Parts: sequence; structure tokens; C-alpha cells
Amino acid sequence: MNLAGWTLAELLPLFAAGATAITALYLLRMRRRQLVVPFAALWRQVTRESDTRRLWRKLRRMLSWLLQLCLLALLCLALGDPRPSAWLRDPVTLAIVIDRSASMGGPAGDGTTGTADPANPGLTRLDLAVRRARAELSALGPVDRALVITAGPEVAVPGPLGRDSDPLLRSLEGLRPAAGEADLGRAIALARSALAGQPGGRILVLSDGALDPAGAAALAACTAPVPEDMSTGTGSQAVPKDSPADAGPQAVPEAMSPGTGPEAQPDRPPRCQLARVGGPVDNVAITAFAARRYPEDREHVEVLAEVHNLGDAAAEVVLEVRADGLSVGRRTLTLAPGERHTEVLRDLDAARTRLLAQLSPGPGSSAAALGPAGDDRAHAIVPPLRPFKVALITEGSDLFLEAALLTLQDHIQLTGMGPAAVPGNPALAEADLVVIDLGAEALPSPLPAQDLVIFDPLRRADGPSPFTSNGELTRPFLTEQALGHPLLDGVVLKDVNLARATRLAALPGDQVLIRSLGDPVALLRHEAGQDDGSSARTIVGFGFDPRQSDLPLRTAFPLLVANLVTYFEQARPGFVASVPVGAARPLAVAELGLAPEGLGAVEVAGPEPLADGTSPDLAADAPLPTARVPVDRGVFRLRAREPGIYRVTALDGPAAGATVLLAVNQASAPASDLHDRIDDLELPPEASAGDPPTPLPVGEGPLWTLLLLAAAALIALEWATYHRRVTV
Amino acid sequence: MAWWKRSAPTPSALNDEPVPEARSLAGARPSHHQGPRRAAGPDDVFDDAFLARLELLQVIARRLFRGRQRAERKTRKVGSGLEFADHREYSPGDDIRNLDWNVLMRLGQSLIRLYEEDEDLPIRIAIDVSESMQTSGGGKLRYASQVAAALAYVGLANLDRVGLTCMSRKVHNSLPAVRGKGRIFRVFDFLRAAPRGGTTDLRAACSRLAAESVQPGLTVVLSDFYDMDGAFDGLNLLRFRKHEPVAIQILDPAEVHPERSALRGDVSLVDCEGGDPRDVTLSPATLRAYAEAHERFCGALASSCRARGIPYFRAEIDVPFDELVLRMFRLGGLLR
Repeated sequence: MNLAGWTLAELLPLFAAGATAITALYLLRMRRRQLVVPFAALWRQVTRESDTRRLWRKLRRMLSWLLQLCLLALLCLALGDPRPSAWLRDPVTLAIVIDRSASMGGPAGDGTTGTADPANPGLTRLDLAVRRARAELSALGPVDRALVITAGPEVAVPGPLGRDSDPLLRSLEGLRPAAGEADLGRAIALARSALAGQPGGRILVLSDGALDPAGAAALAACTAPVPEDMSTGTGSQAVPKDSPADAGPQAVPEAMSPGTGPEAQPDRPPRCQLARVGGPVDNVAITAFAARRYPEDREHVEVLAEVHNLGDAAAEVVLEVRADGLSVGRRTLTLAPGERHTEVLRDLDAARTRLLAQLSPGPGSSAAALGPAGDDRAHAIVPPLRPFKVALITEGSDLFLEAALLTLQDHIQLTGMGPAAVPGNPALAEADLVVIDLGAEALPSPLPAQDLVIFDPLRRADGPSPFTSNGELTRPFLTEQALGHPLLDGVVLKDVNLARATRLAALPGDQVLIRSLGDPVALLRHEAGQDDGSSARTIVGFGFDPRQSDLPLRTAFPLLVANLVTYFEQARPGFVASVPVGAARPLAVAELGLAPEGLGAVEVAGPEPLADGTSPDLAADAPLPTARVPVDRGVFRLRAREPGIYRVTALDGPAAGATVLLAVNQASAPASDLHDRIDDLELPPEASAGDPPTPLPVGEGPLWTLLLLAAAALIALEWATYHRRVTV
Repeated sequence: MAWWKRSAPTPSALNDEPVPEARSLAGARPSHHQGPRRAAGPDDVFDDAFLARLELLQVIARRLFRGRQRAERKTRKVGSGLEFADHREYSPGDDIRNLDWNVLMRLGQSLIRLYEEDEDLPIRIAIDVSESMQTSGGGKLRYASQVAAALAYVGLANLDRVGLTCMSRKVHNSLPAVRGKGRIFRVFDFLRAAPRGGTTDLRAACSRLAAESVQPGLTVVLSDFYDMDGAFDGLNLLRFRKHEPVAIQILDPAEVHPERSALRGDVSLVDCEGGDPRDVTLSPATLRAYAEAHERFCGALASSCRARGIPYFRAEIDVPFDELVLRMFRLGGLLR
């Protein structure tokens, strides 16, 4: 505390003189008013004082004297204009970057034992960060400025740069952990941009250290030591000549940068420091949750849930899967540290479309072992039931192929047609998969735009084959096949006799399914959409004719056909189980079950309230937040900030008004991992922010006014108690 | 207009004393160390109707006193009244007109008829004129004078002998007993010209009053009785001297309830009758304590009087004068 007005040497004589005068006045005997009464004897009897009362009268006089001295001291101190030391230092511009990732929702702990604080089990890491931010803001002086940046999947500035700490403190209210990782890179870049040219720039990152690689890299870059040439203004962040940087080097604020050198020069990049808010690292998360219909039994679904113990101790949890509010599965899992458990619920009724997986503490376990609540819940949508349409273009001689397809007709819709019926056939336009098996006849020109399975596409050189030939093979043996590929699952091609085959030319990106002594005879090709309007598709080409082999006589043939149908069936829209939360992610509307033709925009609404009425941001009766998102070439960018069920509605095109559901989950093991990664970064010692600063007793305003107000309050108190006869 | 108004002095002529420096509890001006003054006459409030109503009243004496002249009061004396009292043996010299001829003729005995003697009642009205009665602008003294005048008129109208005495520590002045309604102007003049001042000492005053009284009778003491030690002793002494004392305590509500006033703070209390000043701090608690102590004092006086059969009346000067005389005195048995 310093005196900016009268010095102490000037104030002391003034106080001494005033105190002497006051004391002299108190020593003088007060002349009382005379009051004539008719019965003084009775008054004398009434006003006879006890010893205690006499002592109190003397003490009261002493208190009054001390009160007057206090008043005099306050007035003298007001003349001195006292100011805290922090008010007299150089200005500081502080950017507080608060990590708002999902891991910040973890328990704060007591800071010593690594377990949740039993006195305050609901305290989260974000609460600690907010507490630290409040302490930092409370320590700012009248000339300091600050801003608050929150780094979640998206970066926000709840507290803009300003000198008044009240709106900044208010901006810290209601902060919640976001789902997903924090985009620290953008947040730090924003902080640097905001502090450019500001004196005494300082970036304070408040994080628990559970960062993804990108965030860790951004933090390491921010806290890296500043090269010496930056201090001369030659660095990339040198400010213009007319900026406050020209004022020359300024002293480092003592309270804000303990033990550092001349870093507060405005032409230097702002210092970056990290304040860690830690806690227990126990966490069990649902890292995957999906549902699919059985290809062969589309009335039933299969649900997969993956539970990952990301903590350092074994955990016992209960996984419960609910479908439209009804429990369809419940398992008690005991997971070792780091164990990942996959739970599959089979043969569930597909009539219920919304699935919810939820973790709860097991018997005898505490809720703290589950960590943040955001990853203890996951959603899934059962894909809509729509028949898979297969068009078979054949001249009618391959009965084996037709028979194999007909056996699948309980879940596919097969349409057969001859080559002559191909042009303008509406069934062909609606088909999801086109199988071409024309034998010796030419391929239809042009080829259908859908996914294709073509047998022997290069038998005739004049056809519009999507493949090119590298020559013919006579009586080849199928010597190699892509094991593990879903198209060849369970298919054994050993000793299959072929009369002839075409050696297919594999392009980059093609997958060779079958080889004959190294020569590709079956390829899988993914074609991207073109500017001419053609959409992406997948083509499977077999360089032989089944009629010229004994493959149809083997059990491998119907399995191969079933695999083909299943592969394309699972790749078609409706098998998007869930989307992770985070920044804008591209999604194909076709994958969601919406026809991309003519679709220019969709409306995304959600997340919907849960079955139990809870929703992170919404009241039960509040309308869903909606966003209109443009669709470009069948792709739109989904920005899902919260996990839950979203509604995607086509706004135009032939499918206008059609609505599909989309599940969004956190489902990210890195985001749920609460382990501190800061130590791996080897940050310099000065990057640590240390203990929180001591808040200033008075944030702003001249103190002498407060002293005068205090003196006035004392006078009012003395007047009220004396003249209202409270103390007399 | 009442015919005696012609002699009433004007109030301005009665309050020509200088304004003292100190204040009194109820705004009164102390008059100690000053000579006798004249106050407003007690006849100012009497009108024809009030006097007519007073004439219907009569002072009640619980005891029988000897009178001096024939009047309307019964006495123990057997004399020449109208109401038969007793017989006695004839003795030479008796008025032969009182011989009971019927008894003589029937029984042959000479008996003289005796009759009850009706005499007057000696009434002495003692007014405390000490300084304590003159606070509050002399309101208490004025009120006491009016009450004394009313009682005197009642007595004079009933052919009683009424005397007045002004006293404080001593007897200042006395009006010898007078008789007849026409003497009421002497009463007024006496009250108007009565000297006042001095300290309150009821024991000494009553002792002197009893010593000066030739004949005991009904003695009405009008005072505030602000005498811590002798308030009741004076009345009791009168009782021992065969008087029938009647206590009428004149009080000023401002003095009875000082907590209702705006007085607060550090003051120096000065007794209007002299004495050392006392420094006190007047707080609401202190004022309430005084009011309670005052009430206890008055209660003790009243209970002492009642215990010894002394009629006690408490008259606060904010009570209308005629209500006190016409209603409260009648209810209390002083008048009928």
C-alpha cells in the first residue's frame, strides 16, 4: 500500500495535532443544560448509579474519544490517498483460456490423494479452473485488462477484452464441460490475436492436461521460450510504430509474472502460462455404441457397446441398454485398468428405434469411478427398414446366380431384366445394386450409375467396361484371395476350376480380391463422384464367367453372392450408427437415408430431450434448436455440440420433408482419458503459472472516497446511537 | 356575566416576573428566591351555572365536630334544635317551655325535653404554595386554588365556617374562618393575594396548622405532596390532632410522565426548591424509571391514606376542573 497524496511525514503531525485537540476537548468538562424539576429527591432515587453503570459511563466516554480518533485517522488517511501496489504497476493484459473439454467434467479431487474430495464430491475440474480464473480476475488492477476464452470443440469468447472485471466474472458463470476435445490451438491463436499490441500480454491456459495431440502441440508451441530477436521487435508479432509498443520496455508486473525478466514489452509475443487443475484420473467410458439390423433378419437388430476403463484402477460398472425407455440389456462388468470390453446384445426387436446405453456404478462402487458423466451415456439409432433393391441384368442362362439371389429375397427385392430392357428401365434407376452377368453378350451402354457387380466385364472388347484388361488367362487357378475381407468371408476358392479368365488391371486404390498366381482376377473399386454429376459408387469386378467354371457348383458361390449383397447392403444409407461430437464433420445425406438428388439444404434439430426428460441445455418444453445447413453434392457439415439424438430433415428436392434420425455420441477414448499429458511435453519452468494470485482488497476506485464514506458511516453511527439514546 | 368578575385581575398583570435562565421539566418558570406574586384568580372559571350546582353540594364530614354557631350540621351537643334527643330531670332554672307536660300529667315526673343541637362545620382548606406547586407555569397552584375556592363555596353555602391557609414549610397566611356565601369574595381575594414560595415540608406545615387551629374540623390539604419523608406524616399528624384530613394530590401530567416529553441527553437537574444540582443523562429508560418511581410514590401515599381512613384524591390538572369537583369528589365521598 502506497500513499499517493500526502506523505506519512505530513500526515503524522496533522494527526497528532488533531488528536491533541480532540483529547483536550474531551478533558474539558462539558457544561450541561440545566433542567428544573419539582421533585429532585425522586430523580435522585431513580438516577442512583450502580458501579457497573458508572464504569460503563466512563468506558463510554473512552469509546467516544477513541471513535473520534478513528474518524481523525480515517480523514488523515484519506488525505494520503492510499493505493495498493498493484495499482501503481504497469498495465497487464490477460487472456484466460479455459479448457472446456469433456475431461474437465471429471471430479476435482482433493489435490493430494488423487481421489474425489468427499467433502465436495460434485466439484469438477472445470469448477477449479473457474475458481482460478476468478482469482486471476480479482487480482487485476484498475488499469489491467482481461478477456476470457473457452476452448471446447469450438472456441468462444464469453468475456470480451475489458477493464471491468464484473462482466468477466459473470461470463464464468454457467460454464459447462463440452463434449469432445478442446480446440486449444484455435483458442491460443485467438488469445494471441487479441493480445497483439497490448501491453503486458499474458496468456493463461487453465487445463487439466488431458489433451489430445493437437492441443498438446499448441500448448507446447505457446509456452516455448521466446527467441531473443523477438524482444527487439523483429519478430513476426512486432507491432506498428504508432502502437503503445513504442513507449519502450516496461517493467514486468510483479504480481503477475514473478521471477521473470523484461517480458512485458508490448512488442513481444504474450507470455503463455499453464495452470493445471487436476483430479482423480478414474474414468469408465462408452467408446462405441452402434446397432444394426441383421442382413438376413431385418426385423431384429444387434447392438454393440464398447466400454473402456481409462483409469488406473479396476472398476465395476453396470452397463444398461434401453430401447425407447425400456431396458433391453443389463450387464455388470468388471474392468481391469485399461481394459476395453465389447458387449454385444443380439436378437433385439427392431421395433424400437432409439437406443440408449448408460453406465452406472456397480455394487459397492462409487460414482466417482465413472468420471465425467458425458461419456457414460451413448445413443444409437436402429437403421430404417427399407428393402435392398437388386437388379440383375442377365440373358437368363445363369440359373445358379439367380437361385443364389432368390434365396436372399426375404430381405432384398430382386428384379431381373434382359439386356434389351435396360435402357430407361425404372427398376434399374431405383436399384441399390446392379448385378451384370451377361456371359458372351455385350455390357449395356452406358453402364448403370449404381453400385455394380460385373462378372467377366472384358469378355467382349467393345463393351463399356470400367476395368481394363492385362491379358487373358487360360485355365487359371485361383491361388490367392483377400482373407478377412467381408466380400470373401467364408468363401473358399481353392481348387475352383476356371476355363478362362481376364487379367484385370488394378488402378491405385483398387483392392484385389482374388489373384491367380499374382494376377488380379477380381477387383473392388471405389469411384468418387465427378463434376459431371455422377455420384460415388463401388464396383466389384470378377474377371471370369461363372458359367465357365465349377464355382456355381460349390458352396462358396452362394456365400459369395450373399457376401456381395451384405457388403453393399451394409454400405448403403442407414448404417451410420452414430457420429462423434465435435466441429463440423462432413456427412453424406445418402448415408443417412436421404436421397441426395436435388437436395440443397437440410434442417438439423437437436439434441432431443431424453426419455427421462433430461437434456443438457433444454427445458422439457423448449423447442429444439435448429440449424439450416446447406448440402453440397450430397454432403453437409454437421456441427453437433452435444451428444444426443438429432433430426435431419430434407428441406427441398424430391425428398423434401423426409426426416431421419442421427445419433451423436462423444465416443472418444482420447476425450475421455483424464490422464495428465503435460509432463510429456517438458514445458519450461516459467510456463507454470504457480499459485493463484492474492485478490486485491479493492478492485477499483480511489480508496480515499471509501475512507471518507467510512468516516461518514462512523459519524452516522455515532449520531444515531447517541441522539437516539442507544448508548447514553 | 358573573357579578364578581369586576374584581378579577388580568393575566398579564399577574405574570410580570422576569424569565429565569433555567428550564423546568414541563416548561415552567421557577419562582424561588422571588417575592410573593399574584396569580390568576380562582373565580375565573366560575359561572352562574357552576355556582348553582355547587350550592346543591355539601361537604361530608365522617365525624361530628363541635361548631360554634347554629347551623345545619348535627353535633353531639343537646340543645335547642328541632329534633328530639332525650329527657332529663328538671332542675331549677330550666326553661319551663321545655317541660314535658305529657309525662308530668301521666307519670307525675318533671322531665325536661332535650333537642339535638345543629351547628356549623369547621372546614380548613390548606393549600400548598411551595415552589414545587408553581412549576408548569403555576398550573398546579392555579388548579389547587380553584379547587379550594369551589370547596370553600360549598362550605359557605351550607353555613359552615370555612378558613383557608397557605403553607409551604411554614404557614404563610391564613384566612380566619368565615361564614356565609357572601364571604366567598374574601376567599377569592385571599387566594389571589396569597403569598407563595418556599420548600415543601408537609410535616412541619401540618404541625403548625394543627397548632394554630383552635377547633378541630375537616381539613382539606391541597398539595402535590412532593415530600419524600413527610408527605403522609403531616396528614397523620392532623389526624392525631382530632382533625379529619382530606388529601387532594394535585399533579401535572408532564411531571408524572416525563418520558412523553422530548427531553433527552445530559442535563443538570435542579430542584425548584433549591439544593445541589445533579448531573444525569436522560435516556428513555431513565425517564421510564422515573415515571414508574413516581407512580410507586403516589401509590404508597394513597395506600397509606386509605389504610388510616384518610380520603385521598388524585387530581391531574388536565382533568377538567368541574369534572373533578362535581363528579370525582362526589364519587369519593367528599361532597354529596
